[in-house]
Amino acid sequence: MSTRERVLGVDRRRLLGREVPLPPRGVRRATSVVGFFVFWWAAVEYSFLDFGLFVGPIETLLAIYGYLLGDPVAGGDQSLYVHAVYSTYRVVAGVSIAALLAIPLGLLIGTSTRAGAGIEWNNYLSPAVESLRPIPPVAWVPASILLFPVVPVVGFPVNTAVLFVVFIGAFFPILVNTIEGVRDLDDEFRRAAQSLGAGDRQIFRHVIFPAALPSILTGVSLGIGLGWITVVAAEIVAGNYGLGYITFQAYRLLQTDIIAVGMVVIGALGYASSAVVQRIADRATPWSDIETT
Amino acid sequence: MSEQESDADARIGSRLQETDGHEELRDGHRNGDGEHGERARATGETLVEIDDLTKIYDPDGAHVTAVENLDLDIGDNEFVTVLGPSGCGKSTLMECIAGYLEPTDGEVLVNGDPVTGPDPSRGVVFQSNRLFPWKTIGQNARFGPQMRNAVDDDRIRELLDETGLSGFEDSYPHELSGGMQQRAELVRLLANDPDIMLMDEPFSGLDAMTKELMQEMLLDIWEEEDRTVLFITHDVAEAIFLADRVVVMTARPGQIKDVIDVDIDRPRDSSVLTSEAFNEYQERASELIHDEAERAMEQKQQETQEG
Repeated sequence: MSTRERVLGVDRRRLLGREVPLPPRGVRRATSVVGFFVFWWAAVEYSFLDFGLFVGPIETLLAIYGYLLGDPVAGGDQSLYVHAVYSTYRVVAGVSIAALLAIPLGLLIGTSTRAGAGIEWNNYLSPAVESLRPIPPVAWVPASILLFPVVPVVGFPVNTAVLFVVFIGAFFPILVNTIEGVRDLDDEFRRAAQSLGAGDRQIFRHVIFPAALPSILTGVSLGIGLGWITVVAAEIVAGNYGLGYITFQAYRLLQTDIIAVGMVVIGALGYASSAVVQRIADRATPWSDIETT
Repeated sequence: MSEQESDADARIGSRLQETDGHEELRDGHRNGDGEHGERARATGETLVEIDDLTKIYDPDGAHVTAVENLDLDIGDNEFVTVLGPSGCGKSTLMECIAGYLEPTDGEVLVNGDPVTGPDPSRGVVFQSNRLFPWKTIGQNARFGPQMRNAVDDDRIRELLDETGLSGFEDSYPHELSGGMQQRAELVRLLANDPDIMLMDEPFSGLDAMTKELMQEMLLDIWEEEDRTVLFITHDVAEAIFLADRVVVMTARPGQIKDVIDVDIDRPRDSSVLTSEAFNEYQERASELIHDEAERAMEQKQQETQEG
């Protein structure tokens, strides 16, 4: 109630001393989107800065329609779908590998931080983690291209350099969130479980892991977001497939409609994938309102 | 009434002189109480024996003595409350009995065996609600028995029913009110059938009305089944209302200042709170704890200034 009625301290229902009825929800939501398209259209139409060189929103929508029917894009002979599938698979594969490594590692580091918890893995692993983490994932692109070759896997060329960049982008947010998830658990939950007769394994399964799960899923969600950022950056530099590749290829060929289409599709897929993760997270952790952005 | 009172006072007096006369305390306590109805079902046997317990915390060389040379016996099926100012080491005492902490000196014996770690026979209720938020009420209630693959669904249903929680099995803790969460935690504990219930200010977060209802419910449950309770609180009325014996602790380092025998008939309900006997106990306990609370406050102030 209060957040809807008061924005930035201004009561939206009382403008200039008059009661202003709120427009319907649908209209309120559409306003910003329509405004964006209007701005885009006007900027191209009236050549704001260099916008005159660029494609307008209407042409973009028409172009998307054509490419959705399967027209080949960016001078190649592959359809938009092929490129979208490549990028999506890279994000999913890179983030999955990151999750498979980062979650167990994070649980190990998180659980071994407590005093008297056996080997303090934290001490061994943290220095490497802490020194590699600040490197922006995109900065890994050049080194990755040198270090990781394209290898054929069951007939398909797999660009391991791109996969690695996605992996490294997703790895740290998942790792850090997993560690935090374990560390944030109040010790009394562990004690409560012990006093109810739970052993170490049962405590891990019934207490530590579920307690950390919302935070882990937040990490995965962040990882997916970073996955889309890194996959585009890596594809721009390396590879012959993917949405990043066609977007940059279109720039070289000055096919501005494909630049716009590529951006729209990347945005749509990014949005869809975070919606999927959110849905999975809600299912998996019905007790918690986790934020996944 | 006054005769009983003076009788009780005389016993307390003798207790004070006999700081380590456990034997005598127990015997004197249990015998000759027949006229008070079924006041205590204690068997007269010692369940928990705390022997010269000292616990020193030493984080970064700070060296804080939480509990010092504390002796206390808790009888089988006895309801003992520990009353003390905040920071007096009463939680430390409980944590040593629960097996979370290792005493710096002295020992805690349960049924004659030294405590080496947490055990399901010693159930714990914490000050903050510690139901597992990721498990439903039903899953929480089953947790203890489930760890041993010994879930008795009938008993759990019965417990949930008794505490007014049937129908909430599939709810998550955060969907329940504070009082309901506290009841659910009690159910989780009872489903595990512990010999001794260690309760660390479990009702301190509840509003006054809910608190009173929870106290009555706890007494009902305790009357019904054979169980020993060690209940920690800083609430004088709560301590007296619940207890067979109130152990009053000093400010840090925590020691026993006095032990008050509460000679009020059981079963008790909230009408007891207005009785003359209750008031007298309350006055007495308040007097005892007042100076200690002041000292505890000064300690706290000093620490804040130093830190």
